[in-house]
Amino acid sequence: MRAYRAADEEALRARSLLKDWAGQGFLTEAQYRHMEQETACDLRRTNIFLRIVLFFFTLVIVAAVVALFFTTFLSRTSWQNQGPFFLIFAALSYAGAEFFVSGARFYRHGVEEALTACSVGFLCMGFEALLYSGRAQTQPYRLETLVPTAGAILSLWIWHRFGLPYAFLAAMLFVPWIPSYWTSSQPAQHLIVAAIYSAGLIAMFAIRAPQRFTYLDDGFSIAEALLWLGIYLAINLQVSLLDPRGLWLGIARSPAEFPKPFYWTTWVLIWFLPPAVLTRGLRGKDRWVIAAGLVAAILTLVTNKPYLGWPRHTWDPMLLGSVLIAAVLYIRRWLAGGEGGIRRGFTAQRLSGKDRVWMSVGTTALGFVSPEQITQTSQPANPEFRFGRGDSGGGGASSDF
Amino acid sequence: MTIFARLDQWKESGAISSEQHAYLAGLSRHEPFSIFFELNVLLYAGVLAFIAGLGWTVTTWSRQLGDVLVLAMLSLLLAASFWYCLSRAAAWSRAETPSPNLIFDYVLYFGSLVWSVELAYLENRFHILSGQWDDYLLVTAVLYLLLAYRFDNRFVLSLGLSSLAGWFGLTISQWPSRQDADYRPYAILYSLTAGAAGAILHRFGLKPHFLSTYLNIAANLLFWALLSGVFQSHGYGVWLLALLVACGASLAWGLARRQFSFVAYAAVYPYIGVSSILVRDIHGDSAVFSYFVVSGIAMLVMLILLARRFGREA
Repeated sequence: MRAYRAADEEALRARSLLKDWAGQGFLTEAQYRHMEQETACDLRRTNIFLRIVLFFFTLVIVAAVVALFFTTFLSRTSWQNQGPFFLIFAALSYAGAEFFVSGARFYRHGVEEALTACSVGFLCMGFEALLYSGRAQTQPYRLETLVPTAGAILSLWIWHRFGLPYAFLAAMLFVPWIPSYWTSSQPAQHLIVAAIYSAGLIAMFAIRAPQRFTYLDDGFSIAEALLWLGIYLAINLQVSLLDPRGLWLGIARSPAEFPKPFYWTTWVLIWFLPPAVLTRGLRGKDRWVIAAGLVAAILTLVTNKPYLGWPRHTWDPMLLGSVLIAAVLYIRRWLAGGEGGIRRGFTAQRLSGKDRVWMSVGTTALGFVSPEQITQTSQPANPEFRFGRGDSGGGGASSDF
Repeated sequence: MTIFARLDQWKESGAISSEQHAYLAGLSRHEPFSIFFELNVLLYAGVLAFIAGLGWTVTTWSRQLGDVLVLAMLSLLLAASFWYCLSRAAAWSRAETPSPNLIFDYVLYFGSLVWSVELAYLENRFHILSGQWDDYLLVTAVLYLLLAYRFDNRFVLSLGLSSLAGWFGLTISQWPSRQDADYRPYAILYSLTAGAAGAILHRFGLKPHFLSTYLNIAANLLFWALLSGVFQSHGYGVWLLALLVACGASLAWGLARRQFSFVAYAAVYPYIGVSSILVRDIHGDSAVFSYFVVSGIAMLVMLILLARRFGREA
């Protein structure tokens, strides 16, 4: 069912590992050259920058072709009658992606990825157009649940067929829209979303186990981490109160809209879930699941006070920062105490060149961006007093300090 | 064939030794498992959260805490950070120097941010620079750049370059009759200055690995500045010419050095600039969409050919 042969993807994985090991000095240059020849495959890849640019231009072309078609042939057709044509374009886009994979042997090449993204977008637009009847949207129209459902199913299929991790994320992003067509009850919506993600997680446990250490493991790891994070976000009501749809429409939401037992149950769960995820990630030495656990733990610390209705203090971020730094120092010290800096199979030493690449990219990008983010102004206790009005930059001393 | 089967095969054929086989097979099974990256991310998040809280607290409670206490606290943090860095740093070298430990880079980053907080506090409470924020930014930029070169720290280098950009922007923002177009020459000047400085320092062998940071920042700012000129309704010809020259330079550099981010810049920015000019003279939706179809396909074919030639190189 995968678009690529397992042997090819295993070869790509081996090639990537060899490059990493050679970069770290675990292999000599001669060994690397010799072994690399044995991992050849016919899949065509490109580097990340060209991949992004190819994705961009493919989107431009597809959008322009579709817009040209509708302008030329269907400019006087109603929205509802345009639906079948969107579905045809969805099929064509998907067929194009399959063609580039099977014919041109593209692998993470940008072009086929953009075509799959277009197929999902056109499918949703097609269903939306077909189901649109021009009536007032006073009641949830249950048939319209087909729009996010179709988007989720096709995204899931694309994830399975092409192995694109963000297709799984797209599938998950469609899910919160589904229950909004079934019920107006907020707790019910949260429960349904959490239940769907939980079902996905159970399925993931089952299909993942036999694939440990194969080329599929990374993809499953990302998917599992996303599901854990999805469940967490579905049950953390303080995060859901920041629903962008509500903020966009100016609808203020409050915890009062949830029944108290439900509200406090979710509070217990947001404390229970991060340690559970972290434990699973650490036991399986699963990088993505560990990351999901850490994000969930930080979100729990950040949202705990609003959950309890306690006022925030200006020094709360300092406490959070101190906790994070102290945790890192303790872990580093603990690991350093082991033989060779290793304890229970963990080490704080860098073992992969990829870490170095990510750190390099991150330091350049975040170092340039962060000064404006970290000195966001607050409401001063004394309104007469405020710092100056530097407009930009300043390494942390930007305007309205 | 899994990686374990391949390793067995390579061991049997004598391509790798038994020790290498055992170590690499262990790594493939995540034994040991490195949490280096996770610890770095947590440290970065911790430093940012702490500084955000520090700035917020100082802003909100300065009157209640009193200037002496605030300044003493900030100075103590600053002194402790820089003392730590100076006492732990290896001897200075022109080449890339690894950090002595995991937290070293973040202590320096923390100290640099505390410096900004303290200087901003001093300026706003006592007006030591008489409102000359541009001077403050310039001094800060110079300090950051010195620290970045002394301790080989890209976080602080980026802070220095952003402070320098702030100095360029702030200087012109104080002109009473400024217009948006006035910023453009300064943005271009900044880009050229940063790019040239990076290239010169690279040529002299001073932390040559910093060059990509300089060039990426300079290239993006330069392209944005030139694009803003192309978007003008009149007198855009010279900016278009400059954009195409910059595109050629970026493409040549990217291909020669296998720095494909510059190839990407050379594809996207000029496409946006040229399209904006052509589209404004095309009338009718069909003609506009046709232009995007034809030009998009042309770009796609060129890029695929380029990707084929250079394959997976990073």
